[in-house]
Amino acid sequence: MAKTILIVDDSASLRQVVSIALKSAGYEVIEASDGKDALGKLTGQKVHLIISDVNMPNMDGITLVKEVKKLPNYKFTPIIMLTTESQEGKKQEGQAAGAKAWVVKPFQPAQMLAAVSKLVLP
Amino acid sequence: MNLDEALQTFIVESRELLQDLEQALLRMEDEAPTADTINAMFRAAHTIKGSAGLFGLDDIVSFTHGVESVLDRVRGGELLLDGELASLFLSCCDHMGALVDQVVSGSDGDAELAAAGNALTARLKAYLGGPEAQPQPQAKVPQQREQKLEASGGGEVETDSWHISLRFGRDVLRNGMDPLSFIRYLGTLGKVVSLSTLTEAIPAAAEMDPESCYLGFEIRFKSDADKAAIEGVFEFVREDSEIHILSPRAKISEYVELIRALPEEDLRLGEILVKCGSLTPAELEQALRLQSGAPPGAGEAGGRQIGDILVDEGVVHPPVVEAALAKQKQTKDSKASEGQFIRVDAEKLDHLINLVGEMVIAGAGANLAAQRAGAAELLEATSTLSRLVEEVRDSALQLRMVQIAATFNRFQRVVRDVSRELGKDIGLSISGGETELDKTVVEKIGDPLMHLVRNSMDHGIEPSDVRVSRGKPAKGTVSLNAYHDSGGIVIEVADDGGGLKREKILQKALEKGLVAPGQSLTDREIHQLILEPGFSTAEQVTNLSGRGVGMDVVKRNITALRGTIDLDSEEGVGMTIRIRLPLTLAIIDGFLVGVCDSSFVVPLDMVVECVELTEAERRAARDNSYINLRGEVLPFLRLRELFELPGQPGRRENIVVVRYGGQKAGLVVDRLMGEFQTVIKPLGALFSNIRGIGGSTILGSGEVALILDVPGLLQQVVSREAHSKAPAGGGLVHAKG
Repeated sequence: MAKTILIVDDSASLRQVVSIALKSAGYEVIEASDGKDALGKLTGQKVHLIISDVNMPNMDGITLVKEVKKLPNYKFTPIIMLTTESQEGKKQEGQAAGAKAWVVKPFQPAQMLAAVSKLVLP
Repeated sequence: MNLDEALQTFIVESRELLQDLEQALLRMEDEAPTADTINAMFRAAHTIKGSAGLFGLDDIVSFTHGVESVLDRVRGGELLLDGELASLFLSCCDHMGALVDQVVSGSDGDAELAAAGNALTARLKAYLGGPEAQPQPQAKVPQQREQKLEASGGGEVETDSWHISLRFGRDVLRNGMDPLSFIRYLGTLGKVVSLSTLTEAIPAAAEMDPESCYLGFEIRFKSDADKAAIEGVFEFVREDSEIHILSPRAKISEYVELIRALPEEDLRLGEILVKCGSLTPAELEQALRLQSGAPPGAGEAGGRQIGDILVDEGVVHPPVVEAALAKQKQTKDSKASEGQFIRVDAEKLDHLINLVGEMVIAGAGANLAAQRAGAAELLEATSTLSRLVEEVRDSALQLRMVQIAATFNRFQRVVRDVSRELGKDIGLSISGGETELDKTVVEKIGDPLMHLVRNSMDHGIEPSDVRVSRGKPAKGTVSLNAYHDSGGIVIEVADDGGGLKREKILQKALEKGLVAPGQSLTDREIHQLILEPGFSTAEQVTNLSGRGVGMDVVKRNITALRGTIDLDSEEGVGMTIRIRLPLTLAIIDGFLVGVCDSSFVVPLDMVVECVELTEAERRAARDNSYINLRGEVLPFLRLRELFELPGQPGRRENIVVVRYGGQKAGLVVDRLMGEFQTVIKPLGALFSNIRGIGGSTILGSGEVALILDVPGLLQQVVSREAHSKAPAGGGLVHAKG
């Protein structure tokens, strides 16, 4: 069964591109536009990897990571943070919260695919 | 959905975001912006940049990057968003809009637009306070390191592969990282030539945290990728894991550094490196020599020499090097060789034996399942497994074996003290002290032996004057002897005293009602009477024995150990008490036989042979229960009759010839089912009176099989023969062993 990845970003186009890249590699992808939306999508289905932006309305990425780590079913789920060079502090904050993997924006679809496949195979 | 559609989404999205940004900036002219507003502005720029990057829109990325950076400083409170800055941002919004329009129209780089962009970027830079920090130094670090290592010398290793040492951090799993997925990903960059998993760091089960990762890997990896790419694989675990990557043809000194840096024991690590093929044994030797800090001149010359010889002769086996290294290390840590023994909590051993027992049962179950399935591969696998289980069982039992010498030696003191107390001159002679038996047996044999030794000294050995008058040496001797016999151990307590007085015992037995008047008994049976409860022939009750609690207690203790006791006595010459004990109380090799639907286990050590009970013999033996076994008279027992099992005997019956303690007899069974590793389970107290059954075990199918008490069965045969019409002694075969 294909592994399911949840991509959380407030940019629909970014979600679409990442989704296209991941789907072509054999993953299932579901999308969420912010942290709150993401938390809602985690229940009722098994997500094997979460990709989340840091800056989002409603609930930001760091809060999302902290909330995800509280869910018993997602204790061991890898989380990739989307950061930028200017957000070294945010990256460390995310890592402290439990998101140990990251991809620096702006990125090419191939870079995202490489990061994902280090953690979860399709 | 395809990329074009996604691009359309990007265009719509960007325009919306730019509009939001513009409105927020315009609103600022009326009221001071809140933190949320500034955050939203930053996010807009951030999102446009991030998405643009995905589509490879570098113009938008580089321009938006400047806007984002300045907005980040505003957000961080480093810059005040005043009217001037706001108007700059508005211009930037327009420019970003123009860049997006350019994407829509599909036109190439407009020089005018680019120039406008550059001007805006320059204005933005002014707000960033000086040139941007150069992210260069980070990349320089490994380079420096490599140079330093090169300088430290040593030859190159021969391998053309990378060597990667991984020690994953404890939290790796908790962080959602799967160590294996990194290795799988590594496989996409090249070929994992060999991989050794290091499990040393895994603590005992009780202390192990199942959520922690204790694994380490040594990997030999063949790839054209550069070091940065390989490092990139482990990017996400780099922080809390220990990762060493050595390039092909690395310096031996780098390996020395590696061995030094890793937590495992040097020699073990070296072996793994050799196993991976990353180092040749000679290289390892050299590395360890370098590492041990031997004088470079002498050490290297020596190392090269040995290494050369090894390589020249082509016999570079790790053990050879290991031996050489061990020798080298000897002077350094001679202490290590002292610790040839380790103390282990006996409880741990017991637990291990229990587990091995369970494993034997489970293994039998797997075997049975494999046989039923009939899959050749499965059968092969399970048979390999059961062979290994057998070896594990033997080694585990061996761990619990102790020499009986310690127990025997305790009696030196006992004999000395008791002989003084009794005023007799008695010495102790010990032999066979090196015989090993199960620790649990040794622990329980002490008390019975004490009884027997004291009994011999008290009742057996005569006072000196009597001895002299009988022509014996004045000094009496008690001897303790131990030896192996038919898969068990025999402990003898012998004395050169007066022996048992047949008439006296018989008379006493009649008095106590242990035998009926007129009952004919063999000498052996009469001797055995002293083991009956409540029997004591001592005329005088002494401090030591004669209270009638001695011998029967001994017998009970020995029986509890699944052992037997018997006596050899000659009046006036002495007595020998022979205790036969199983080597272990836990697991034995058994021989499985079937009668009706029931299965029985005969301890394999007692099985001599199996013969078919032919139709002719069956007819001949209808009345008298013995057959002619190659000229010998072999009495037999029918298990069907003995245990009153239902059903008629089949057309074919078999006889299992068993031997124990010099007696031989046959057991008639329906089926022979072969060898079976038997885990002995005790029978409940309810069954303690059943004769002929020594315990139970669990078969692979989960059914219970009873373990036959061969000595007990033989005893039954003996008494039957003695009381039958056959001439005394004629019916019983006395085996020569």
